[in-house]
Amino acid sequence: MASELTTESYISHHLTNLTCGKTPDGWTCDPYKVDQMGFWAFHVDSLFWSIGLGALFVFVFRKAISKNSDASVAPSGLQNFVEMSIEFVEDNVQSLFGSVKNTLIAPLALTVFVWILLMNLMDLVPVDFLPVLAGHIAYAMAGDAVEWIKGPESLYFKVVPTTDPNITLGMAFGIFILTIYYSITVKGLKAFIAELTLHPFGKYMIPINFVLEMVNFIAKPISLGLRLFGNLYAGEMIFILIALMLFFSSIPIGVLGFGLHLVWALFHILIVALQAFIFMALTIAYLAMAHETEEH
Amino acid sequence: MNINATLIAQAVVMIVFVAICWRYIYPPILSVMKEREKRITDGLEAAKKADDSLEEAKLAFDKELIQAKAEAAEILDKANARASQIVSDASSKAEAEAEKILTSASTTIENETNKAKEELRQQMSDIIIDTTQKILGDEISKEKHEEILKKAAEEL
Repeated sequence: MASELTTESYISHHLTNLTCGKTPDGWTCDPYKVDQMGFWAFHVDSLFWSIGLGALFVFVFRKAISKNSDASVAPSGLQNFVEMSIEFVEDNVQSLFGSVKNTLIAPLALTVFVWILLMNLMDLVPVDFLPVLAGHIAYAMAGDAVEWIKGPESLYFKVVPTTDPNITLGMAFGIFILTIYYSITVKGLKAFIAELTLHPFGKYMIPINFVLEMVNFIAKPISLGLRLFGNLYAGEMIFILIALMLFFSSIPIGVLGFGLHLVWALFHILIVALQAFIFMALTIAYLAMAHETEEH
Repeated sequence: MNINATLIAQAVVMIVFVAICWRYIYPPILSVMKEREKRITDGLEAAKKADDSLEEAKLAFDKELIQAKAEAAEILDKANARASQIVSDASSKAEAEAEKILTSASTTIENETNKAKEELRQQMSDIIIDTTQKILGDEISKEKHEEILKKAAEEL
């Protein structure tokens, strides 16, 4: 394995998802047949971590409820953490959403925040640890039974779901749908269409207005998803490049790599939390806009 | 890094998790938090009330104390006055008594002295008469010289 390993293959190995999809020959996860899968393919690793971490969120918060649902007892430990995050979300919703009553917004914001934070935090796990582990497990379990697993390294396994644009755009898409839903139910379809067509040039320029507003409207979810993806992808990329310093160069550079790894990991904690917060804040803001009846 | 069905799957997963959070996680935690907040507010209010009443009780206590002290001082003053009155009464009474005793004693003494003087005078006059009689014989009788004897007795 080591003899075949080049800088290029190391990087591309880390940036490729484990993709399963339908090929003319049937369902497979063979990385060499990804081209034949077309749209109906799934990034199993991204979805695995995404669902797993979402389940962790649900589990931890449910546990906090069952542990201490009596208001007369002072909260402790996990309960404190859970209540702190809820208070944090409540504060943000309160400041961005104001007086509008919508019971979905706060739970949505909480889910988005904690979930993205957990997914981002996977970035702090050393880059090689989980992919190599997963490769060995897959190789040991599948052995020769699966034709495309030829060794531990033939399994691609990307650990950080938020470095997959499908995941971030998927969430942004979900929020986009909610934005449209609330725009129509709160403002009414007529007002919503008017908002998209009668600005900024008045009713005689409807096509131009529509194009301009549509760009504005669609740019929101796309920028929301791509912002998170870009930040985490870049962070992951730098971790990979620092890891390369350890394996592919002389000892002094390797030692420097250790130091850099520490520095970047510390700095990345900030990005991890910040991007989760930004995603949450923008989610609330977009939904707040969908509730505003009087604009411009 | 292709865009594929993962996007749709993730959107569906997100809807599921948000729904779970919306139905089963957020409301129970929030209600417990609200309830606790209310309890804490109530508790603080009760504590403040208790504090206030304590303050009030302290004030009342201080007032009572001052009043009691004033009363005690008054009683003490009265008692002192009374005591000094009694003492002065007693001393004046004693003085008067002493005076009286002294007076009566001196009167008695005077009387006794007078009596003794009288007796002495009598005896003396008797002795003188006796002696004179003896010297003069019967020339002088008690009856004859009553007048002179009496005069002499008075002069003695």
